[in-house]
Amino acid sequence: MIARDRNWLLIFAACAALAVVYPLFADGYQLTVIRDALIFGMFAASLDFFWGRTGILCFGHAAFFGIGGYIMALITLNDAIPFGSLLGIVGAVAGAALVAAIIGYFLFFGGIRGSYFTIVTLAMGVICQQAAVSWSSVTGGDSGLIGIPPIAFDVGGIHVDLSQDLPSYIFVASIVAVVVLALWSISRGRWGTVLTAIQDNEVRAAALGHNAPLRLLVTFVLSAAIAGLAGALYVCMAGLVAPDLSGLLLSTEVIVWVAVGGRGTLLGPVLGAIAIQRAQQTISSFNPSLWPLLLGCVFVIIVFVLPDGILSIYARLKGLFKGRRQAQ
Amino acid sequence: MSDVLLQAENVGIRFGGLQALEGLNLTVRDKELCCIIGPNGAGKSTFLNVLTGTLRPTSGSVRFLGHDIAGLPLHRIARLGIARKFQIPSVFPSLSVEDNLKVARWGASSPLRPVGELLELVALDSRATTLAGQLAHGQKQWLEIGMALAIEPRLLLLDEPTAGMTPQETLATAEMLLRLKGEFSIVAVEHDIRFVRALNCETLVLHQGRRLRSGPFHDIETDEMVRDVYLGRR
Repeated sequence: MIARDRNWLLIFAACAALAVVYPLFADGYQLTVIRDALIFGMFAASLDFFWGRTGILCFGHAAFFGIGGYIMALITLNDAIPFGSLLGIVGAVAGAALVAAIIGYFLFFGGIRGSYFTIVTLAMGVICQQAAVSWSSVTGGDSGLIGIPPIAFDVGGIHVDLSQDLPSYIFVASIVAVVVLALWSISRGRWGTVLTAIQDNEVRAAALGHNAPLRLLVTFVLSAAIAGLAGALYVCMAGLVAPDLSGLLLSTEVIVWVAVGGRGTLLGPVLGAIAIQRAQQTISSFNPSLWPLLLGCVFVIIVFVLPDGILSIYARLKGLFKGRRQAQ
Repeated sequence: MSDVLLQAENVGIRFGGLQALEGLNLTVRDKELCCIIGPNGAGKSTFLNVLTGTLRPTSGSVRFLGHDIAGLPLHRIARLGIARKFQIPSVFPSLSVEDNLKVARWGASSPLRPVGELLELVALDSRATTLAGQLAHGQKQWLEIGMALAIEPRLLLLDEPTAGMTPQETLATAEMLLRLKGEFSIVAVEHDIRFVRALNCETLVLHQGRRLRSGPFHDIETDEMVRDVYLGRR
């Protein structure tokens, strides 16, 4: 195992241990805050899986989060549909994946890359948000849909009810851990290496027999499916869904979380999302209008000082001390 | 004939008002080695792009194992058994040398050579863990040849494989290709006459998009017209 993988697993294990002991010290409110931040962390990891591995930025990733959220809400709010929670999750994941597959097919096989891809996905996000506002008979318009029930299902005769803080925290933390670990395994294996090769030189990769557009499409679809899952979980925990969840602001925020955490690290974006969410709540309680200004400044500072994100602090400090020792 | 691998017949290509290639024929047989030479602007790289299916000829046809390959996606052409080395060294700079070769093997329909053998073949066994972006220019060229070999091609097309190499590296590359001769067909587009002389194979000379001469290199080298147009007189 190479040192980079070992370090990643150590950080992951430390985060997992922290997540396990956190309920011992936190009250119910704090648990729900971290639970929601973890969901946004998974959403950030989904963007990082695509952006970090392919180098192509999707600027409308919140569209998939919103699609997942709305599908979950529509299924669980319909009493006629049995197994609402499970079907809702499956529908949310499938719906987000289907939309990504349709859009991605035309973009990737049409040769759209780089900033053109970013602009098209930005437009996609705007269209999704507008559709959520305008299609009010289904989506509830500006005010969205409220009263979405918490996730509840039966497994092997055991009834799982996630209406309480602790069970919902454990459920979300477990899913986030599994998803991040799975994405990391994919990223470091053959699939991820070929994606890095495609990012480096797509024509070369194709000339070696790799179907680059198909690989990019599958990665995009998987990334969107996880964003859809995050959206589905979030609306069940929050109890409501609104057009903002598929909007430009959330799409921008998730990019900031990934950039601050460290693009291409998967764990960094989760930590970035949690850190920024916590900071937002603390700062907004003093002065609500101060937050966007501070967030912008933090983003600019991170880009200049730590372009590889907060997860690179350790490597930078190590390099600094090594350089000093060599100088002495 | 049954051992014909690649057949280009009466190939012509026009870019707007410019007739870049006209009436070119080339037959590459199984396990044959041949070179395409010519002065700058003769159409060598354009012809190679047509042979690899990257450019569609405006007249004539290119068939590989009986298939018309013009306009096919690059990965399908590679899977048919055509490997290509580009004019500018084209490797994956953020991957190690070893991973570059692994990625190449994964693209093959049936890879045979292990990575270790490929590393030895292109004399990069001591640089396996080095990032490809950190290699010297000549080593990048060799790595790219190794990547092309990794897909177990039936036909290897090399666009100026020795560009930017030292004389020693050029001769080492020629020796490498001569060692590989007989395993698959090789077509090399080259400027460096020392390299072509070392290969001493069937050679097609292009001039202004047309065939000037073709035949064994020792006949080409002494041809009056080729010397006038391209090689020069000593």
